[in-house]
Amino acid sequence: MSPSIAILCQHLLNGVLIGCAYALIAMGLTMIFGVMNIANFAHGEFYMLGGFLAYYLVSLMGLNYFVALPVAVILVVVLAIILQHAIFRRLRDAPMMTTTLVTIGLSIFLEHVALLMWGPQPQSIPTPFPTKPLSFFGVYTTPLYLFCMAVTGALIVVSHILVRRTRMGKAMRATFQNKEASALVGIRIDRIYMYAFAFGAALAAAAGAVLGGFIPVEPTTGSIVTLKAFVVVILGGMGSFVGAIVGGLLLGMAEALGAGYMPTGWKDAIGFFAVILVLLFRPEGLFKRA
Amino acid sequence: MTRHRLATAAVCVALFAVPLAVHDEYYLHLCIVAGIFAIAVLGLDLIVGYVGQLSLAHAAFFAMGAYTSALLFVNFKWSMWLGLPAAAILTGVIAFVLGSVILRTRGHRFIIITVVFAELMKLVATNWVDVTRGFMGLPGLEIPKLYVPGLGAIDIASKAHFYYVVLVVALLAFLLCRLIVRSSIGRKFVLIRENEALAESLGISALRYSMIAFAFGAVLAGAAGSLYAHYVGFVSPDLFNFSYVTIMLIMVILGGKGTLVGPALGAVIFTFLPELLREASHWRMIIFATILIVATLFMPRGIIFPLVEHLLPQRWRTRHASTP
Repeated sequence: MSPSIAILCQHLLNGVLIGCAYALIAMGLTMIFGVMNIANFAHGEFYMLGGFLAYYLVSLMGLNYFVALPVAVILVVVLAIILQHAIFRRLRDAPMMTTTLVTIGLSIFLEHVALLMWGPQPQSIPTPFPTKPLSFFGVYTTPLYLFCMAVTGALIVVSHILVRRTRMGKAMRATFQNKEASALVGIRIDRIYMYAFAFGAALAAAAGAVLGGFIPVEPTTGSIVTLKAFVVVILGGMGSFVGAIVGGLLLGMAEALGAGYMPTGWKDAIGFFAVILVLLFRPEGLFKRA
Repeated sequence: MTRHRLATAAVCVALFAVPLAVHDEYYLHLCIVAGIFAIAVLGLDLIVGYVGQLSLAHAAFFAMGAYTSALLFVNFKWSMWLGLPAAAILTGVIAFVLGSVILRTRGHRFIIITVVFAELMKLVATNWVDVTRGFMGLPGLEIPKLYVPGLGAIDIASKAHFYYVVLVVALLAFLLCRLIVRSSIGRKFVLIRENEALAESLGISALRYSMIAFAFGAVLAGAAGSLYAHYVGFVSPDLFNFSYVTIMLIMVILGGKGTLVGPALGAVIFTFLPELLREASHWRMIIFATILIVATLFMPRGIIFPLVEHLLPQRWRTRHASTP
């Protein structure tokens, strides 16, 4: 392969993983938005906590890496359930300004609790994988990278099946479309809220725990991740599940290419510009059937 | 009514007397910062409290005002007397252009796009190194002399003097806002907040009036940012940090959104309160976040007005205190 094409493939490969992570986070965000009608500004904090908890369990408590990841996710889910009971349950019929301000408050709260507990330094989760790079036709990757890609990819597929094929997913989609009618046919809305919130938090935490292996986590990560997830959700159409997956992959690839071919520092601007353009010309999102 | 006027006059006298009573530099500093925040927060209240759209771009307008002033000073030696109006007008124009695009969207999309805009502006301030010097920021801003006919040049760089500059701008901002919200424009703001469909059916363009609030709010934020830049003498991309918009929102919400006195008082309270918590700096933001959550959930009218109503005897309650 000619070198320039190899470099292009390298960028795209980097983009796929970030894209999968974006997709995972955005799927949870869009689900919470669709079911609960809440723009959850604290969503990125679940990613950050997933990463930090995995780091804590592996390097400070000496837990096995493959055990630590699911445990971190479960801990975040427990936190999400507590939050749902303490705060989000009260927001069911609250006006949008209230829900948004509360989630903003929650995001600051969680960020600074993490700061208090783990300090401001970025932390990488130690992984058991060999660091020797693998080469395929001039494109380099590492075992850790392949593992992360497999996990995030599998999680996307599994959650897609969960939403499309199970009774639970069907009930969620029904609540998405019409809350009153769903309650009328016997769907327990309270429970759907809980599942949607916990599921969304779990996906974000999983992304955080998995990516924490090579993108160091720090307390401020959460707000950036939230913003990126919102970008994806708007690109894909708010409340659209497939849109979140495709939008996440697209943003990941675009940013990887931007990081490769644009001056440093500007890659984060790509998504922001895209959002403004989409809102101007196609406010229902790129993929949502209008 | 006369009692109300008396109280207003007393407050004004008290405000002007602050530097006579307070000689401690540190407390004067806090008074100045509180005044600057009050100006910005009044602008935020117009869009958040009166029109009812949550804008998270307000701190970005504040920072853009600061940068405008700083760049004009560093590159063209424009003093604050020119820089402040220029900053106010420029941020107003930018908000007008931005608003004409994004105020067409409502609700969640509007909120998200205001954050995205703020973040984009931060990226510009950070990465356009040739102009903004990136993370290093722009240092060396000065407070100019004030030329008064008959008195000559007065040095206003001391804190006690600069306090008066801030106070005059803040009072002007307050009066302008009062003029707006008491006029038919202000009533249309509230109607759009309470029932947008009804407003539209009466021929009141929600877009136009949201835009007035959004752009004028940005003018105030820009002016406040310019004062801040000259007062502190330094601007950096940190001004775009999300914590600024959070603290401004706390001032508006806890002060009492949809009133003017409330957010102005909120600015004072939440400038002094963090300083009391200085010992527990790690806990400061955690406490703030908790206050924000609890207040939005349980105190939709803020803390000041319910507290005042609770404490004052019945006959002392002014009729304005309870109308949001």
